[in-house]
Amino acid sequence: MSVFKSRPALRWLVPTAAAVVVIGGGAAAGTIAASADPTLPERSAAQLLVDVQNAKVEGLSGTIVQTADLGLPSLPGVTGGANGAELMKLVAGSNTARVWYAGEDKVRLAVLGTLGETDVIRNGSDVWLWRSSANSATHFTLPADAKEKRRTALPQGVPSTPQEAADAALAAIDPTTAVSTTGAAKVAGRDAYELVLTPRDTASLVGQVRLAIDAEQHIPLGVDVYAKDATSPAVRIAFQQVSFETPDAEQFTFNPPPGTKVETPSQAEIEKEQQKAIQEHEKALKRGPGGKPEAPEGTKVVGKGWTSVLVAKLPAGDAGKQDGKGVQQLEAISGALPKVNGAWGSGRLLQSALFSALLTDDGRVLVGAVAPEKLYEVAGQ
Amino acid sequence: MSQADVRRRVSSRFLTSELRLIAVRRRNQVGLAALAAVPVVLAVAMKVASPEGPPDRGDGPNFFSQILGNGFFVALAALGVELTLFLPIAVSMLAGDAVAGEANQGTLRYLLTVPVGRTRLLAVKYAGIVMGAFVAPLTVAVSGLVVGLLLFGGGDVTTLSGTQIGFGTAVLRLLLICLYLGVCLSALGAIGLFLSTLTEQPMGATIALAMLTVTSWILGQIPQLDWLHPYLLTRHWTDFGELLRDPVSPGGLTPGLLSAGAYIVVFLSAAWARFAGRDVTS
Repeated sequence: MSVFKSRPALRWLVPTAAAVVVIGGGAAAGTIAASADPTLPERSAAQLLVDVQNAKVEGLSGTIVQTADLGLPSLPGVTGGANGAELMKLVAGSNTARVWYAGEDKVRLAVLGTLGETDVIRNGSDVWLWRSSANSATHFTLPADAKEKRRTALPQGVPSTPQEAADAALAAIDPTTAVSTTGAAKVAGRDAYELVLTPRDTASLVGQVRLAIDAEQHIPLGVDVYAKDATSPAVRIAFQQVSFETPDAEQFTFNPPPGTKVETPSQAEIEKEQQKAIQEHEKALKRGPGGKPEAPEGTKVVGKGWTSVLVAKLPAGDAGKQDGKGVQQLEAISGALPKVNGAWGSGRLLQSALFSALLTDDGRVLVGAVAPEKLYEVAGQ
Repeated sequence: MSQADVRRRVSSRFLTSELRLIAVRRRNQVGLAALAAVPVVLAVAMKVASPEGPPDRGDGPNFFSQILGNGFFVALAALGVELTLFLPIAVSMLAGDAVAGEANQGTLRYLLTVPVGRTRLLAVKYAGIVMGAFVAPLTVAVSGLVVGLLLFGGGDVTTLSGTQIGFGTAVLRLLLICLYLGVCLSALGAIGLFLSTLTEQPMGATIALAMLTVTSWILGQIPQLDWLHPYLLTRHWTDFGELLRDPVSPGGLTPGLLSAGAYIVVFLSAAWARFAGRDVTS
């Protein structure tokens, strides 16, 4: 005290120190939590995959946070405005959701918004969708044999044991991807193994995909996607807090509150949707790993693995008549993108940390997790 | 009588006299009445306009559409509306007045001639601001609850998660919301106390603080500044909605409380450094 009395200027050290501690403390808390490496017995990638397949979790509840920092340029209609805010949060910002899980037929997911919430609740054969902002609820009833149908739709030749499946999966991705495990990480205060997928092709914009797997319960706790040469993840989805106690049954009961608009889609509609999904699934299977994809006309995939580029033709004419507003919006967005040209022609380029997209003036769209140069190369072919 | 006893008695007398001064000051009473009037106006307007069924609204974060069904939401809607400007202005008035008001009237030096340390003077002034920060949202809530119950009636309250809770539980949660907002506004008050030690014009400090709040709200709306958002004063104020979920998330309010605590520590110590070191000439 006496020092402060004789030299009043020194008093300013106190608020300065407080500010430094507060700001620095907040930043440090994150890094300490991330760098605290617990020591766990070593496990190979194959062992980890087997663990995940064998994981049996009776119930859990927790908070999941998704953050994205794709380094997108600001786009009118997407990144601004009231409607854009929600979209924007998906590509740059964070979303929080709470989950409750008590066996396959009791699941609840609540996506939290500011003063709002969207819930998806499954309890037995009842599925409810609740939107607090619209004060509306949608009720689906799952048919009792839904599970059977799904099972029959599974492809032939599925590996019968987890070990086989893990080996098959690792073998399948080996030509394109290096799989390794790191010491360990901490996610939501729990020890976790990290499975690291690194593209062998250095032309890919994706640097690493890190999958954190709980050391005790063997379920994935988080996924980080790093752009090339980046130190912080471009996309991160991870548990912020998790508990493996089975939640109470009351978490899964939902009765629409009075005054709520309740929609009940008819059984026929649901079945139609399901049939469609199954058909598409079967179609996808028929293609097989070596077969050519049966995609819409003009759509093809150039390249392999991490550096493959999707080339599609923009629907010209008829789609525009149906949805003039959508096209207008698209034009507004593409108008804001920088113009590029070269031997391949000219167009507009959307660049982000993880992917690039090229919109050529002759109506093609090229998208890939690669640098723009690669897109130009493909466009010129 | 030991010295400690003397000190405590003197301190509590100073505090009660300060609180009484704030309470009987006419402008504070009028301000409080204005705060209480907003939910009344809101409820009457809703009652008179009373459209056929609740209007379809977009994704706006408000409770207006639920007011017609349950008077409880008058209090919530009023708190949501007043949180952006009216409540911060009320706290700004108190905080701006705290030190600069005394200096402006020329009473600060007389106040310091009585055996009161400057640190204790600041503590008492801040206690007055904190009291205002808690009383203001409570007034809005009570006024909203009363007028809502009179015009629309009560009943079970629908949470954000779509479940229903009893009216008693809902009122308890409303009280917790008021306490949370009280903490948030106390953080604003700490900044105000600091600003108040910088000037002899209470209006200057008040306006500066109100502008700071508005600026903070606006910056929070600009997505391009998302790196700044975690540090903004008003960032977590609307987190009070966490208390309306079912079940209430255990850590939902922690970021808001930590942020408020950080602001309080930094700006109270800054106010102390400034005030205890400056020459009081008026």
